[in-house]
Amino acid sequence: MTSVEGQGPDAPSRTIPPARGSVISRGVRVYLRTFTPADLDHLAQWVDDPFLERMVGSEFLHSYKHVWDKSPAFFEAVLTDPTQVVLVIEAYQGWTKPVGVVRLFNIHLLEGYAFLETIITDVRAMKRGFGVEAGKLISYYGVDVLGLRRIEAKVYEYNALSMNSLRRNGFRQEGILRQAGFDGEKYWDLVIFGILKEEIEAQRKKDKVYLPLDPPEGNGREPS
Amino acid sequence: MQIDPAMPAVALTGDGLERLRLAGPLTAVTAPELRARIRQAVAAGRTRLMIDLQAVTVLDASGIAALLEARRVLEAQPSGTLVLCANPVVCRALKDTGTITAFALSAGPGM
Repeated sequence: MTSVEGQGPDAPSRTIPPARGSVISRGVRVYLRTFTPADLDHLAQWVDDPFLERMVGSEFLHSYKHVWDKSPAFFEAVLTDPTQVVLVIEAYQGWTKPVGVVRLFNIHLLEGYAFLETIITDVRAMKRGFGVEAGKLISYYGVDVLGLRRIEAKVYEYNALSMNSLRRNGFRQEGILRQAGFDGEKYWDLVIFGILKEEIEAQRKKDKVYLPLDPPEGNGREPS
Repeated sequence: MQIDPAMPAVALTGDGLERLRLAGPLTAVTAPELRARIRQAVAAGRTRLMIDLQAVTVLDASGIAALLEARRVLEAQPSGTLVLCANPVVCRALKDTGTITAFALSAGPGM
């Protein structure tokens, strides 16, 4: 977005599509950046990972593979979908590619709620606190930038890692959707977690304070 | 995205509103700029605004959230008001998110 009122010294560079996206939020272990066309290559690998399929059951990944048939047009669809915010998780050191993706989806801006999905895609990146911090950063983004007052998440009953991550971020278990998930062989319960704005703020006070970058670093994809 | 420096960003409309013209994507990357401009406008006592979004090419959740905040901030001021001049891309995003009823809209050409 550019206002035609005064370009400013950095205005021309904003038209350059970045290869690595714009950094939206920084934590201690990871940072979150915008989704780029180059990320489709990573997505294409992730969607074929049976472990991710079983543990996360992501509609996002499922849609890319089965609805969009891994089409490059998926990027534009994500970019122009105003009901979700998709951010790529990058670790600071020792990683040559993204370690996952985190998103807020089914965003209801007037009602102030959305759903959270955090996917750590590299087994080596698990149990390092990356998912916890990514979930934390995007929750802060949801409160600070999107004005959310409630965030929900659903987890398969056997995904203890995700449940622990949510609890570490202050999410509370609110209920169980009995046999609401199907992995191709068996029905499983889905565990519902939720957190309110006040609880996110209380959690933030316990931690190092994270604030959304204002303005973001780097340039965003700016289609004409 | 081209910038037209000859076009004044803030101009008085026939309704006595000051027009703020935006162009290109209004997204997570660029929404902070809009927030800053609204803060500047309010600080300068300009609280009756029309945000012209006719040249906006993408509007995402962060951009809409910035517009909602702009409305909230402006309408909290005495006689403050916000009108959006939308294009089809903007209208679709507002409809998809159920936020279209939250704004006073002035249809642009082709609407």
